Amino acid sequence: MIRRLLALLWIAVLLLLAFYAPLLTEYSETEPSGTPLSPPSPQHPLGTDHLGRDLFTRLLFGVRISLSMALAAGGISIAIGGLLGMVSALAPVLLDDVLTWLGDVLLSIPGLLLAMLLVAGLGTGITTVILAAGIGAVPGFMRVSRTLFMQLGEEEYVEAARAIGAAPIRIAVRHLLPNAIPRVTVLSVTQMAWAFVNTTTLSFLGFAGDPSVAEWGAMLNQGRGFMMDAPRLVLLPGFAITFTILALHTLGASSVQRRFDE
Amino acid sequence: MVPISDRRAPDLLTVIVKRLLASVLTAWAAVSFTFLTLRIAAGDPVASLLSRGLASPSDVARLRGQLGLDQPLIHQYWDFLSGFVRGDLGHSLYSNRPVLDIILEQLPATLSLALLALAFTVILAALMGIGAAWWNQRLAGRIAELLSGTAIAFPVIFVATIALWLVRASHVTIGITTRAGLLTLLMPALVLAFSTAGGIAWTLQAGLLESMRAPYFLAARARGVGKRSLLWHALKPALPPVVSLFALEAAFLFTGTVVTETIFARPGLGRLLVQSVLEGDYPVAQGLVALAAVVYTLSNGAADIAAALLDPRIRRQS
Amino acid sequence: MKQHSISFTTLLLILLVSLLSACQMERPVESTLVYGLTLTPSGIDPHLNASAELGIPLTSVYDTLIFRDQESGEFVPGLAREWSISEDGCDYTFLLREDVTFHDSTRFDAAAVAANLDYIVDPDHRSQNAIFMLGPYEGWTIDDEFTITLHLAEPFAPLLDSLSQVYLGMASPAALAQWGAAEYQFHQVGTGPYRFVEYIPGDHLTLERNPDYAWAPDIYEAQSASIETIIFRFFTDAATRGYALETGQVDILGEIPPNEALRLAPMDTFNLHTIAVPGIPLQFIFNTQLEPTDDPEVRRALLLLLDRETIVSTVFHGTSPVANGPFSSILLSMDESLDFPDANADVAIHMLAERGWSLTPSDELQRDGNQLSLLMVVPPWGYAPDVAQLMAAAWTTAGINVDIELVPGFGSLLEAQQRGEYHLIALNAFGSDPSVVDSYYSSDGLYNWSGYRSDAMDQLLKAAVESTLSSEQREDLYREMAFLVREETLIIPIRDYVNLVIANERVTGLHFSAQGWFPYLIDVRLIS
Repeated sequence: MIRRLLALLWIAVLLLLAFYAPLLTEYSETEPSGTPLSPPSPQHPLGTDHLGRDLFTRLLFGVRISLSMALAAGGISIAIGGLLGMVSALAPVLLDDVLTWLGDVLLSIPGLLLAMLLVAGLGTGITTVILAAGIGAVPGFMRVSRTLFMQLGEEEYVEAARAIGAAPIRIAVRHLLPNAIPRVTVLSVTQMAWAFVNTTTLSFLGFAGDPSVAEWGAMLNQGRGFMMDAPRLVLLPGFAITFTILALHTLGASSVQRRFDE
Repeated sequence: MVPISDRRAPDLLTVIVKRLLASVLTAWAAVSFTFLTLRIAAGDPVASLLSRGLASPSDVARLRGQLGLDQPLIHQYWDFLSGFVRGDLGHSLYSNRPVLDIILEQLPATLSLALLALAFTVILAALMGIGAAWWNQRLAGRIAELLSGTAIAFPVIFVATIALWLVRASHVTIGITTRAGLLTLLMPALVLAFSTAGGIAWTLQAGLLESMRAPYFLAARARGVGKRSLLWHALKPALPPVVSLFALEAAFLFTGTVVTETIFARPGLGRLLVQSVLEGDYPVAQGLVALAAVVYTLSNGAADIAAALLDPRIRRQS
Repeated sequence: MKQHSISFTTLLLILLVSLLSACQMERPVESTLVYGLTLTPSGIDPHLNASAELGIPLTSVYDTLIFRDQESGEFVPGLAREWSISEDGCDYTFLLREDVTFHDSTRFDAAAVAANLDYIVDPDHRSQNAIFMLGPYEGWTIDDEFTITLHLAEPFAPLLDSLSQVYLGMASPAALAQWGAAEYQFHQVGTGPYRFVEYIPGDHLTLERNPDYAWAPDIYEAQSASIETIIFRFFTDAATRGYALETGQVDILGEIPPNEALRLAPMDTFNLHTIAVPGIPLQFIFNTQLEPTDDPEVRRALLLLLDRETIVSTVFHGTSPVANGPFSSILLSMDESLDFPDANADVAIHMLAERGWSLTPSDELQRDGNQLSLLMVVPPWGYAPDVAQLMAAAWTTAGINVDIELVPGFGSLLEAQQRGEYHLIALNAFGSDPSVVDSYYSSDGLYNWSGYRSDAMDQLLKAAVESTLSSEQREDLYREMAFLVREETLIIPIRDYVNLVIANERVTGLHFSAQGWFPYLIDVRLIS
């Protein structure tokens, strides 16, 4: 579908921009280079922000920061959550129940508070935001992963393997994991989308620490104070975040789409 | 490993009791986890008071006694837990007022926002999710699907900001004067609902589509069963994941409430929480989180019971 | 089906209930004013808490012994109709008015004043501001029913100014005794033109007109208030303040961001009041106890690398003047020769080079292989983060490595300061007497964050408070002190505080006290 292609294109463009950012602009993302709040002009194609920094440059470097934070946070939740979910699904009922219960315990603490507890302990900063978003998403992905591995356990070839007396570990490695990987990959994309939402929201609330960091969520927050003078300070980072989330969700939900197309 | 289909299906009462016990246990664990984490993360509250100039060195001994900090951790934990059950959540470190009073003061604002948002969420999610699935070949369905996709993509921070901007821009150009009360409640609730409904609608749509292709449904359709009961037949198995997602979204609602309370300048629990954690008023933060955890756990438990009631297959997994 | 209609009805009911509760927030239009507050103080008892925000409502709940004229700076009678100071400057005798009653109908007299003083100095009450404003206060003597003398251990020139502020407002002893230090803030009883009704922290504070008010001081224009009810609501997020005004949620709101204020001011529906607030300007204090800012030459060079004019005009859009010393210019006028120097990058680089700092090929300023690194600790208020970013950008261009640590509140600011790892820390403070600088510059001062200790400085500060009551002589002493601050480059002054207050067109008669922050609500009138 066209939407999936567009989504793929967007992500590809973002990755390219992230990689080649310094080559695409002559300005620094932290130093003022023009009159504050000036509208788009030949020197500044997207204008300047409230401190006179080139907006295009800040958005550009924001790709790097925002994407890498989301990737790191998402990676944490997928790795830890995925592993725990698999263990939980394959384990005896008792261990499964205990693990699920522990996940529920963590889930009952609102994600934002978990973040703030970490902020109180570790101080504000990008690392804390990544950790908070990542750890906060572990129980959620653990549930998803557990459900996935439980469903896989129902598949016929697994039944067959069990019927001929194969050991659980062998079943896990030889049959479940290879079949899980494509499904996990798809689910991971959606997980990345949520990680991205969380890191941008936490930055928006000011937990990222250094205010000069060109993270899109933080830029959205700072732009709020000037939304009547220069709405682009809010609209541009906001739509950048939104398109990225949309792209990730589109790619991640492709399993739903495919079945629908059938 | 015992495969799901081979597990015995327990009867309904067992399921409910088991879930209830699990909820209580989870709530206790969450509350304890909060106590521990805050005690570790927030550091020594007396040292904090000292460094902020709110206590003098001569006060230290007295304060430690008052706050129970000279007791072993187990004793402190027991005091906290027994007090919590009785409704005594301690006193604010700065204003010395009972934490429960502080929370109750801010509760109505957040409650009215959350309830209204919840109502809007159900309506929006139902419209978008059911609409997209039921009319999936028609324009209405496509629009509904587009809407829910948009709703998922737009993070609440952006939706709230844009909503605010539109309100302000229209005020300036058209000079609309709306009644302040309605505005400060309606807009944030709509914003929250829009952001929350997307995910639910999406799951609802997916589940509904799946059950609409199931054999029993196609058979019922062939039999000529009426549209309404057909819809219900298709909905029933699709609801459990939606119900659990709903409970999950309740936690998200909390985060969203903080954001909307901030952007729309509303008082409430979200803002209270952020403030108390940043200020280091740990009894307030602790009380809030513990209460939130209890509420969330109980609602989760209720959702699971509802899911089990709706679909017997779920009961086997418990 | 039945199930559908039940669930729908339930939903509708929830909707209705929520909407109804929303209607409660609507306010009556007649004779009610909504005033915005921008901070939620941790406590609002003026005798015990230090926040300036609490003074905004409470200045109208209390009268003080004397008042200070905001134009001339002169002291005029208040609850005290006359006063005298002993020759040695250690005894202040006040003759009190005899016709004053508290809002709870108890009588105001010398015993009431004594009770207030005792309440403030009680060590169990942990007063954060009022007790320090009394300086070397030792005790009182009641000479007769309406005469009281305050005793000081040493002369203390700022005493009259202290007594003119809300922190030393006179509360009903009966109420103080009845409620105690923790609860009194929710049941405040004064003698002022407005009565305290209720306070829900973070939500609202309500005042109602005192119909029995008959002892207005000269600085009030009206004899009694005209607005029946004043409700104070909180707007702690700066980005939402313009919105609150535009949608009529609030009639008067201060600390409006400069860009919003400039946009709203020309509109017919709004009026802008720019109030210069006296005190210590927004500044960055150097840590003189940590390398490399322990070197005065380095400090001077860092100052010279900054174009403070441009920084201030970028962030404050011309609504605030650049600060040029440790005092805001309306608190202490200074000759231009005392100003802090303007930007001079060449001299700065030269100075740094002389101290061994040179630019490497990779554009880093280094000495002995180490880059010049600075840590700035910054609170979120006063636009300090924006200023810090611009300062950091300028220094980064010169090859310096700068880290900004943003702390969320005053408590964490104190904690960060105690760790002592900062090179620069942002601060501003308010006061109508120049002695406000004492705790920042004296060797044992509570807020001596620069770590600078010098006998010369201590002597100047002591003399300015003890040696004379003449304001001219005191000002000269403070000018000497400012000279010292500049010579040692202890601070980087940024801007004099200007409070941007917007009132909508219904409001007239708004004017503020000598402290800048506090409105005289008695004079505010609503026109239709």
